[in-house]
Amino acid sequence: MDAREQEFLEYVQGGGQVETDDWMPDEYRARLIKFIEMHGNSELMGVLPEREWILRAPTLQRKLALTAKVQDEVGHSQLIYRVVEDLGKPREQCLDDLISGKSKFHNVFHYPTKTWGDVGLIAWLVDAAAIISQKALLKCSYAPYARIMKKICWEESFHILHGRDVILTMMLGTDQQRELVQEALDRWWGPLMQFHGNPIARDEDPMYVWRIKSQGNEEARQQFLDGYVPQIWELGLTVPDPTLRKRDDGAWEYTEPDWDELKHVVTGHGPKTAERLELRRTTREENAWVRRAVLAEAA
Amino acid sequence: MTDQVQKIVEIADDELVLGWRNSEWTGIAPLLEEDVAFSSIAQNEIGHARALYELAARELGTTADELAFDRQPDEYRCSRLVQLRLVPDWARTIARHCIYERADQARIEALKRSDDAELAGLAAKIDREEAYHRMHAEMWFDRLEDEQRFKAALEELEPLFDVRDEHIPEFAELWEEMTMVRRSVAGATW
Repeated sequence: MDAREQEFLEYVQGGGQVETDDWMPDEYRARLIKFIEMHGNSELMGVLPEREWILRAPTLQRKLALTAKVQDEVGHSQLIYRVVEDLGKPREQCLDDLISGKSKFHNVFHYPTKTWGDVGLIAWLVDAAAIISQKALLKCSYAPYARIMKKICWEESFHILHGRDVILTMMLGTDQQRELVQEALDRWWGPLMQFHGNPIARDEDPMYVWRIKSQGNEEARQQFLDGYVPQIWELGLTVPDPTLRKRDDGAWEYTEPDWDELKHVVTGHGPKTAERLELRRTTREENAWVRRAVLAEAA
Repeated sequence: MTDQVQKIVEIADDELVLGWRNSEWTGIAPLLEEDVAFSSIAQNEIGHARALYELAARELGTTADELAFDRQPDEYRCSRLVQLRLVPDWARTIARHCIYERADQARIEALKRSDDAELAGLAAKIDREEAYHRMHAEMWFDRLEDEQRFKAALEELEPLFDVRDEHIPEFAELWEEMTMVRRSVAGATW
C-alpha cells in the first residue's frame, strides 16, 4: 500500500466519508462495486419470490401491502444500481452479469416461497435480518451509498411491520394457520442464520477494514438473534435449534450454520436459482427490441 | 343489484385483475424504470379496486374482501381485456395499457358527474391517479406507434374491453389461484 492509499485508509477508518468524485484506491472502488452491485441484485431478485403471492394474497389489504413492498424493492434496486453506475459500472453490465451468474445475490432469494406462512416470515424475519445489515451501512465510508440507505431503511421498516402483522394474525388464528407459520420458520431458520455470513473477525474482513460495513458478520447475527428470538418465542413458535440459548454474558449460542450450504447457494446452486435467472434471461432477450427502441429515441 | 352498484363492481373487478396482470412485470420488465412504473400502477389499481368494492359492499350488505374473493368465477364482471396473461409480450402489454386507460377515463368521467356525492368524490380521487397512468400509456404509445407488432396488438385487443359475459378459459384457473390461500383454512382471518 502506498502512502496515498494508507492515508485514505486512515481517513475512512477515522470515520471519514468519500464522495463519487473523490480519489479512491482501485481496491476500494472494486470492493464497493462488488458489494453494492450484490445489494442491487438482491433487491431485484428479491421481488420474484414474493411477486407471485400478490395474486394469492388472501385479503385486499394484504394484496396492497405486498404490492407496495415489491414496488419498494424494485425501486431500491434502481437506486442502488445508480450508485454502482456512478462508480463506473453501467447498469446494463450489472444486469448481464446477474443473468450470466458472474455476480451474486443474497442466499435467501435462492429459495422457494412455499406458503402464505413463508410470505409473512420473509417480510418479517428476512427483512429484519436485512435491515440490520442495512442500518450498519448508514455509516458506510462511501457517502452516496450511506445516503440512499436512509430511504431504504425507512421503507424496510414498514415491511417488517407488515410481515409481523401477517404472522401475528396467523398465530392468533387456527391450528392449521399456526402450523403454516411453524413450518415456514423451520424452512427459513437455516438460511436466516447463514444470512449475515461466516463469523470472520471484523478486522480481517476487508469490507470492515475499508469501513464499507461498520460491523462484523457475527455482530450482525447476534443483533438479529437478540432482537427477534424473544419475539419468536413470545408468539409461541419454536426455533428449530435445540442448542439456541442466551448466555449470561448476553451472547447467543447456536448450532453452527451450514456454511457449505451458504457457499453452494450463493454460487448459483440454490433450489430456485436457475429458474429465477432463466425467467430474467428469457424476458430480457424477448424484450431487447424495447430497449433498442428506447435507446434509438434517446440518441 | 342496482345498475350503479353493478357498474362499480365491474370497474373494481377490472382494476383488481389488471392490478395483478400489471404486477406480473415487476422484476422482469424491459427497463428497471418500467418494473417500478408497472408495480406502482398495479398498486394504484388494487387500491382503486378496494375503494370501489368498499362502496359497493355497503350497498350490498357485505364486505370488500367477500366481493373481491368469495364470488364464483362466472360472477366476476371483468373485461376479457384485463384477464389476458401478456407477460413477456411488451407490445401487447402496452397496447392493453393504452386501450384500457382510454376506456377507463371515459367511465371515470361519467362517475365524476354522478349525483351520489361519495361516488363522485371517489371517482375524482381515482382520476387524479389515473392521470399518471394515462401519461405513462401515452409516452409508450408515442414510442411504439410505428412498430408493426404494436399496431397489430392494438387491433387484436381493442374489441376485448367490452366483452364481459364470457371469460377467457384461463380465468377459472386465475380465480383458483387468487383465492387458494383464502379458501385453504375455513373461517380463518388473514
